[in-house]
Amino acid sequence: MLGEFINPYYLQVASFILINIILALSIYITLASGQLSLGSAGFMAIGAYTTALLTTNFEVSIIVGIIAGTLLAGILGIIIGIPSLRLTGVFLAIATLGFGEIVRVVLINTEEITRGAIGISGIPQLGKEILTFFEGFGFDPNNLGLTPNQFVFSAIFLVLLIIDILLIWFFLRQKNSRVGRAYSAINMDEDAAATMGINVTYYKVLSFTQGAILAGFAGALYAHVLSYISPADFSYHKAVEILVFSVFGGSEVVVGAIFGASFLTLLPEILRSISDYRFMIYGVLLVVMMAYRPQGIIDERMLRWVKKRFKGGKKDGTKREEN
Amino acid sequence: MVLNVKKISKNFGGIQALTDVSFSINEGEILGIIGPNGAGKTTMFNMITSFYTPSSGEITFKDEVISGLKPHKITDKGICRTFQNIRLFPEMTVLDNVLVGTHSRTVSGVLKSVLRTKSQKQEENNIRAKAMDLLETVNLLDQYDDIAKNLSYGQQRRLEIARALASDPKLILLDEPAAGMNERETAELHHLIMKIKEMGITILLIEHDMPLVMKTCDRLVVLNFGKKIAEGDPEEIQKDPEVIKAYLGTEEDDESA
Repeated sequence: MLGEFINPYYLQVASFILINIILALSIYITLASGQLSLGSAGFMAIGAYTTALLTTNFEVSIIVGIIAGTLLAGILGIIIGIPSLRLTGVFLAIATLGFGEIVRVVLINTEEITRGAIGISGIPQLGKEILTFFEGFGFDPNNLGLTPNQFVFSAIFLVLLIIDILLIWFFLRQKNSRVGRAYSAINMDEDAAATMGINVTYYKVLSFTQGAILAGFAGALYAHVLSYISPADFSYHKAVEILVFSVFGGSEVVVGAIFGASFLTLLPEILRSISDYRFMIYGVLLVVMMAYRPQGIIDERMLRWVKKRFKGGKKDGTKREEN
Repeated sequence: MVLNVKKISKNFGGIQALTDVSFSINEGEILGIIGPNGAGKTTMFNMITSFYTPSSGEITFKDEVISGLKPHKITDKGICRTFQNIRLFPEMTVLDNVLVGTHSRTVSGVLKSVLRTKSQKQEENNIRAKAMDLLETVNLLDQYDDIAKNLSYGQQRRLEIARALASDPKLILLDEPAAGMNERETAELHHLIMKIKEMGITILLIEHDMPLVMKTCDRLVVLNFGKKIAEGDPEEIQKDPEVIKAYLGTEEDDESA
């Protein structure tokens, strides 16, 4: 009976939404300190390939592979982040775009390791591994009224959902704290932030690295959800797509990233017939957004308005909830 | 002696912005720096707060050399400033602006902030209470939840002072705080500066509003074309022929002009 409600296709789309939310968060968190990075596809590739190569070649468990991929992306984030401190705005965007392209070209050209443009297939699939794990305890998905396939997709969805909730919780709390205030101070005026005692270098590298870690983590999850990756998955198009998630939804706020990633992942699925024109639509959306609403659909002001509306203008300076 | 500026020079390419300027500030006093536009007053502030490094000379704060430190380290040491062209965090609320000011006196990092540990909550409560106190001091308590850029000019200037005070400075540098203020606001500013003095904070003030300067400052340093031309208490300065010449010009200047 539970089986009647669970459609693997919908779950797959939902899972992609959840992965894209992590990617959009990676842009959000670098933009929070005023840095525009287009390196997320590159960091994503690092995470994906690290865990794919480890789990397919060395019998390493998925969890260890994902952690290794995430950490390596983070370490590269620090390495790229420090020299990039001298760059701002569009120059940083170009430099990080260059980094992403280097990663992709290296992946294509190191055929003996990465199998080049053909990509890596047969990466252990997260849902199937969970199923095997539970079957080890004599569990049978039929007991829940589910086919193995339904169970696999549900498991992936649930794991990603928990991860996303934890990440969103993390960044909401961080935003409304000393660290989050330091990020927005740097974003609004670097010199004034330094005058207030904020170590601008430290926080910029921290935010850049958090973005790299998130992108690497999303890449690692992506590899284990699709079980096939190739360099084409992490091209320049991907970097722009990720950027649009955040910029469209609203790059100032966490919910903007969530909304942008959800909406823009669903859009081509709902409008199947026009999915070929996806990048055209992205392009038009970006142009229109930049002209009329550069801060994205959802912004601070909108959230403040909503909060006042629903909380009836609570007069309390000591507690203001996350946004 | 809190701050000691020793023979500071600064040149930008061929332009000599400051030449061998020396002065010092005693604890608890209000020292004014005055001079015509382009005399090098703000350059001096930028040097003290390490936005620029001096071409030669040395600045010491409580007998410790501070020239060459990073700007945020200067704030750690206990020097904070306001800006001539207001530089608040425009999209933040008034309260958040002041909270950012407490950065150098708080310690919570990412983990503590996310896990909301007991010490983090305690810290947040303390700085919120402190920020509200400071907003009361500068008379902005009712506006605490407004967006900073929506405040009036005079309010923004006062908010900048509150933000600087939030870093618990020993020495505060005010760069033309009365600029753009009307007479009533200027009078309030005078009271505010006196209140800051009563808190035991030493004040270095750049200001063009002469009545305010004469009323507020204990001692004055006069700069002209990057050189110190006079130093003394307000009465002395008002009578100093060099100073009068710098401000009003001389008869020969008029003839040659």
